[in-house]
Amino acid sequence: MICEHCQKREATVHLTEITDGKVQEINLCEKCAEEKGVTIKPFSISDFLSALASAHSVGKGKGAPEQACPACGISFAEFQSSGRLGCPEDYTAFREQILPLIERIHDATQHTGKAPACPGGADAFECRRRQLQADLRRAIEHEEYERAAELRDELKELDAAGGEGAPGEPPPPPAEETKETP
Amino acid sequence: MIPNDLARRVGEWLRGGGPHSEIVISSRVRLARNLALHRFPARMDEAEAALVEAHCREAILATGEVEPPMYLPLHEMPELDRRFLVERHLISREHETGTLPRAIAIGRGEVLSVMVNEEDHLRLQVLQSGFRLAEAAALADAFDSGLEEKLGYAFDARFGYLTACPTNVGTGMRVSVMLHLPALVITRHIEKVFQAVSKISLAVRGLYGEGTEASGHFYQISNQASLGKSESQLVRDLEAVIPQIVRYERSARTTLLAKDRHRLEDRIWRAYGMLRHARILTSEEILTLLSAIRMGLHLGVLPEISLSDVNELTVFTQPAHLQKIEGRELSANERDLARAKFVREKLGENGNA
Repeated sequence: MICEHCQKREATVHLTEITDGKVQEINLCEKCAEEKGVTIKPFSISDFLSALASAHSVGKGKGAPEQACPACGISFAEFQSSGRLGCPEDYTAFREQILPLIERIHDATQHTGKAPACPGGADAFECRRRQLQADLRRAIEHEEYERAAELRDELKELDAAGGEGAPGEPPPPPAEETKETP
Repeated sequence: MIPNDLARRVGEWLRGGGPHSEIVISSRVRLARNLALHRFPARMDEAEAALVEAHCREAILATGEVEPPMYLPLHEMPELDRRFLVERHLISREHETGTLPRAIAIGRGEVLSVMVNEEDHLRLQVLQSGFRLAEAAALADAFDSGLEEKLGYAFDARFGYLTACPTNVGTGMRVSVMLHLPALVITRHIEKVFQAVSKISLAVRGLYGEGTEASGHFYQISNQASLGKSESQLVRDLEAVIPQIVRYERSARTTLLAKDRHRLEDRIWRAYGMLRHARILTSEEILTLLSAIRMGLHLGVLPEISLSDVNELTVFTQPAHLQKIEGRELSANERDLARAKFVREKLGENGNA
């Protein structure tokens, strides 16, 4: 599309003007748009994010903007201005403020995909549990229902065994004493 | 330094094979991962970056997917070589210009690659030719699981894989396809595609950043949200939509051919003539000409050139590639001359390709 003003360059700015209730589309090249006083600032993801971050933490009460992450030291205000977090711990430190932002971006707040078998710092129980959950999810997605049933049983056993500090599996029944042969 | 075989041949993903390859150029899956207990790259100092880089290198090489000479530290690399890697879609512009210890690892003939210390500690990429998203996703998943055995990933039960930017959190996954849609642009139907696609929360971009007509009619379509859906759901969402766009483009091509065969053929043959005889070619111009050639191949208008030739011309006529071939820095004018010469030699000005 050619610029309507200079009739030379490619039109990259498309404006919709409403005059006397009539909608009119105007197509201009960047140079002519600038001359006409329509300035277009380059747009970056971080501008967008920091705007979102500010909009969503206003009036959220919990956590002052100057509150800092204990691990990396950045404040929520710093995140708001840069759009980038400092370290993985920020998701815990600023959880209350970040939650609405994440919801706005993804239209969801709960991860349902893959999980590492052993994420940093998890104990062996939690690790095994996540591994089983991930396998189960994949089995269901691939419609391998027999395998899914097995995995579900295994998960149940694991939960029963170590779930909430339970004293472990009931001890196995004592082995039958071998009868001495006379 | 860039290993020679990388500089001389085209990546596996540009061989031009795979389903719907006349319209779907490539399928890509990217995973963002970070190590727990370390700051994100933008906040790291040199020492921490070097430490994370060393951990990642060890884990990447341990998978056996990357040969040691294909693990390339970028902070020791000449600027021209880094630009070469950007043109090859192996590193981002951000990764090219960084200052911290960082690297790119390349495996399986460029199908698999990992950026170390870009925006996140690890950015895994699988890039395949044609429409093969599920296959790409499976490969990325397996490679990721291999790395995970060696590295403690930052993960949260609620937010999933934790990333420097909240837009990537969750699966850390971006699934995308590169489409060539010249007929939808010519027939002015492309806007309808954009509108439909954005309604189902997919994103459209041009070959390099914002979508423009000038960039060879290439459009990249990807998921916008990375949290809330599983990896296979994200793949399926894109898989469901792409064949529709492919059909739409095909029917636009057929319509063009039926309604205005002579004009279309003329457009394609003119592009071929220009490529074969031009003495000066700019990088913008060549993309437009190659776009016509690419469509001409599919419509059977041009019999004497192959899709892999077109791909090779697209890749090797980029500025840093031309300079690697010539073995020296070239000014913009010199590049336009060198580009035209490269194309003439490839297409055989006085004979057949």
